[in-house]
Formats: sequence, structure tokens, C-alpha cells
Amino acid sequence: MKEQNSIPVSKIERSAKFVGTGFKIGGNYIKHYSKKLINPEHSRDELNEDNAADIYNSLSQLKGSALKVAQMLSMDKNILPKAYVDKFSQAQYSAPPLSGPLVVRTFTKYFGQTPEKIFDTFDIKSSNAASIGQVHKATLNGKKLAIKIQYPGVGDSISSDLKLIKPFAFRLLGMSEKELDVYLKEVEERLVEETDYELELRRSQSFAKACSSIPNIVFPSYYPELSSSRIITMDWMPGMHLREYLKTNPSQESRNKIGQALWDFYSFQQHRMRAVHADPHPGNFLITPEGNLGIIDFGCIKEIPDDFYVPFFSYTFSNVLQDKDKTIANFRKLQMIWDTDTPAQVEFYYKNYKEMIELFASPYAAEEFDFAPEDYFKKLYYYGERISKMKEFKQARGVKHFIYVNRTNFGLYSILHELKAKVNTRTYTPDLSIWHS
Amino acid sequence: MAVNSKTKIVDAYIDYVLTHNEKPNSVYVFTKNIKMKEGDFYNHFSSFDAIDSDIWLELLEQTITDIQNQEVYQNYSTREKALAFYYTFTENLKNKRSFAVYSIKQAGKSFHTPAIFKKMKASFEQYADALIAEGLDSQELTERKFISDKYKDALWVQLAFIVNFWVTDDSAGFEKTDEAIEKGINVTFDLMSRSPIDNLIEYGKFLAKNGKITYEGAK
Repeated sequence: MKEQNSIPVSKIERSAKFVGTGFKIGGNYIKHYSKKLINPEHSRDELNEDNAADIYNSLSQLKGSALKVAQMLSMDKNILPKAYVDKFSQAQYSAPPLSGPLVVRTFTKYFGQTPEKIFDTFDIKSSNAASIGQVHKATLNGKKLAIKIQYPGVGDSISSDLKLIKPFAFRLLGMSEKELDVYLKEVEERLVEETDYELELRRSQSFAKACSSIPNIVFPSYYPELSSSRIITMDWMPGMHLREYLKTNPSQESRNKIGQALWDFYSFQQHRMRAVHADPHPGNFLITPEGNLGIIDFGCIKEIPDDFYVPFFSYTFSNVLQDKDKTIANFRKLQMIWDTDTPAQVEFYYKNYKEMIELFASPYAAEEFDFAPEDYFKKLYYYGERISKMKEFKQARGVKHFIYVNRTNFGLYSILHELKAKVNTRTYTPDLSIWHS
Repeated sequence: MAVNSKTKIVDAYIDYVLTHNEKPNSVYVFTKNIKMKEGDFYNHFSSFDAIDSDIWLELLEQTITDIQNQEVYQNYSTREKALAFYYTFTENLKNKRSFAVYSIKQAGKSFHTPAIFKKMKASFEQYADALIAEGLDSQELTERKFISDKYKDALWVQLAFIVNFWVTDDSAGFEKTDEAIEKGINVTFDLMSRSPIDNLIEYGKFLAKNGKITYEGAK
């Protein structure tokens, strides 16, 4: 009984944060329209920027899953106005830390001992914050270790956070709540998985093993005996984050090598494992001093079922797109075209989705693709801007798997763009027979 | 020998109240059942309530010993020391959960501190006083007339709140209690540290003394 009492309390606290945001946004709109009265030229960009800053501020105080959703929205550059994206991108790095005593407490709870007894040295100040936890440095038997500790109560707050975020997501994406539900459920599932550190540990080990043949990729070793449902212990991986690496002005050759490693890592997972590390934000990768790509986070894995994989990737690996009837049949399988659509609607969605798929598949078109030129990304961006303004796209279309598969691939593309890398896109192709049988 | 009979009494007492969900009828029957002289009981405790009281006191003293044995403890700020105290206290409490739940229910709710917590409270206040003095000394906490004397009461209220929260907490590993501690203690310490209100009062004082708002007649 009491327990139930406590949940709404924290929910009220959280709601209060969001209500605050709502008021502020209202204020920003007033500001916008009053400025517009004086100066009709006043652009909506400024308004978006004000709104984004306020939304971001209240999200960053919420931490946990709300922050995660902010990260996610920031990855989907195609559906969000630019100002939102820039602000949300900040969420990819820091969050306020757990107190030292709570860190000690977490250890005594799971191992019956304080960290200073378990490790030779343990740095009580965290070295990085992740969205649902933080990382501490430690040493044991001369080995440097990274220890990830989860904030307490993250798992519990996910569904209530998502409910709170709904009206905002719905505002930002312009979908109805009911349509949004299918997608939010998918997001919730992934987020809940992410809080399961035992699952993450098992996946990290199995992915590291499965991907061990890919050149220029390194994984840390994991220590199950020093891990629990709230703690993951792994090797400390030296290296730079992507942005730091880019500041060192690396050679084209070095950038291509990193880019190729990244491309191979994702191709291998998507086309051979059919399960993919679906969190390609720059904080999850390190460039080691040897110039290899280190992969340090397996919290978010999306398994790609055949009934999605086969129709979707047929566009990239076969010439289905030349055949209108087959293409439409596939669009129906992916629920991008509905049985209830009129012939005019079918034509409309066929045209627009074909354009999207063509854009998506461009890197696969030739053996080599250069991610450096702005052109391709401008096209993506304009396409996103254009459809986000079309009322036909206010409806949520497409099966739920699109969320993470799109996030993964567009995330990958934008990292490769930042790297200005040229990659061979045919390294790990699927077994082509599936499309001819 | 003496220590032995004391532990024997405490263990038998805990066992009794948890199996019967009430206190033994009399010291006579109780000591007879555990084959002990009644006099031995009174050597250690004056009544059954005194045992409750002693268990709580022991819990508190054990917690203080435990945290002081942690190497990092000495390097902690006052805020962190307090956090460590509450975390360790609830950790130790876990080993006696059934008894604690029984004991708190027996004590009932009242405005005044129930008798069985008096000894623990006295000992806690000693600890809190030392902690606050340290915080005031390092200026982590702010000295405020009349109010800073009440800081230790705020910490006691937190302890009572957290213990009560923990009693009804059914989250796995009492994770919600951890959250309650982390959030509650941080707020308490935020309030005890220098805040915008202090600056506002200072500014008010300054304006009252040096501001342009003066009475015409005062000249």
C-alpha cells in the first residue's frame, strides 16, 4: 500500500518539471509572436532554439530514461528541427553524479565489501557519466579497470518517464498519442533491457566474441565475477572520443581506417548476426592510441527479425526498387502502405518512401562510398524537413522495427560523415540467395 | 561470561517476540524458559523495553564504528559522511529487519520520540553534533543564529523518516530507500549550506543600513 503511495510522489515531482517546461515554452511562443509583431522577419529558428534549450534543461535534470530519450531524439536528425538536435546532442555526454557513499553502498550491497577492499585502488570520483550510470576507474593486480555503476531506481522510472515524455514527443513529432504508443512500447522495451546489467554483460561477451574476426576493432575484457545487476567491471580502455580524435587532425588514411572498422562492425551485425548494437552515439566508441576502434557499450541491442530484414534490406542488395509492383508489395509488408489506402495514397507513399529508401541505400550502390561530401547529408536533411511538414506523414507508418534500425543506420552515417571517411561498403554482404528463393 | 549471558538474553528475546509477535509475559517466565536466573536478567536490563532500546543503540554504534573503519570516510565532506552514515545504518538494519519492523510497530506513532529510541537518539545527537561542528568549521555548512542549533534535529528527523520509509519499502534490494537517502540528505545539506536566501538577507541588512530609504524626520 505504502509502496504505491511513493510512486506518484516522485511522478508528481517529475511532472512538475515538465509543467515548468510547458509554461516556459508557452512563454517562448509569446516572445516569438511579440517579436514578430515588431519585426515580421523574426525567424522561427530562434523560437525553436528557445524551446529546445528549455526542454533540454528540464530533461537533463530528470536524468535516467528521459535523458536517454533526449539522446535518441537527437540521433534522429531527420525528424527534428536543427535547433532541437543541437541542444539534445549535449545530452550525449554529462549528467550529475552519484555521491561517493552511494557508490560504496552499491558495492557493499552486491559484494558485501567496500570497493577499496575489492580493488587495489578505486577512484571514488567518477570519471564519466553515462545516461543511466557512471564510470569509475580502479586497478586490480596491476590492471586498469573501468567500473560502470547504475543509478538506483532507473528501471522503475522508465515507464513513468516515458508517459511524461509522451506529450512532448507527440508535439515534436506531431503524431497522435495512440500511434505513438506502438513506438514508445518498442523504446520502453529497449530501455528496460538497458538497465539489465547482467544481460548487458552476457551480450558484451558474446558480441565481442562473434565480432573478433573484424579487423581493427577492439573490445575490453569483462569480469563477470566483479559484476552484478548494478555493476559492470571491464578493462579500462585508453583512447579518445570521436570529437577529441578529430581535433588532432588525423590523416585521411587514419580516418578511413576507423570509418571502415565502424562500417564493418555494423554490416557484420546487421547482415550476419541480425542483431545490432543500436546505440551508435559517439560516446560509445573510443579511438585507441594504436588507431583502432574500441567499442565500450552493449546496453542497447536490437534484434532484427526476418520479416523485417528481408523486405527492408532487399532494397539495398537487390534491384527490387526497379520493379514497382514488388516494391509496393514490400512496402505493404513493412506497413508503409496500408490496405486501406486509396490508389492515390498508394502512389503518393510509394513515391515518397521510394525516395527515402533510395537515399538510405545510396552508400550500398557502389563498392565504395565517400561520406565526406555535404551533398548527401543535405539531401537527407531536406528530405526529412520536407516530409516532416507534410500532413500525410503526421500518421505513424511503418513497423516498429524502423525506430532502432533507422536510428542505427542514420547514426552510423552521421558518424562516418563527421569522420569524413571513405569506406568499402561491400565487406559483409548478406547471403543473397534469400531474395531469389 | 557476562557478555555471553547478555547476548543470550537478546537473542532469546528477539526469537520470542518474532515467534509470538508480542513481548513475554514476565521476566520470570522468560528467564525460566531460557534456563537463567532472573537476577542475571536484571544485571543487564531493567525491563523488556530496555532490550529494544539497547538493540537500537547497538545498531547505531555499530554503524558509526563501521563507517569510521572505511578508509575513504576521513576524506569525505560532511555531506558525504552523513550519506555514508545513513547508507550503512540501513545496511546494518537489514540483518535485523524482522525485529526492526516489529519494534517500530510496537513503538507506535507519537509526536515524541518513543522511549525505546531515546538512548539511540542521544548517541546519534552526539555523532550529529560532531559532524555539524566539523561542517561549520570547514564552512561547508552555514552558521545561522538560532537555526544552526536545530541542524542536528533535522538530521534526526531524516533518520526517523528513512527508517520508516525502509520499513514499508518493498523494492528489490531496498533500492527506493537508497534513492530516499540520496535525495533527502542532499536536500537537507543544501538547506544547511549557504544559499541565495542568506545572500538576500545580507543584502536586505545592507540596504536597511545604507540604503537611500530614510525617514525625512530622522535627519
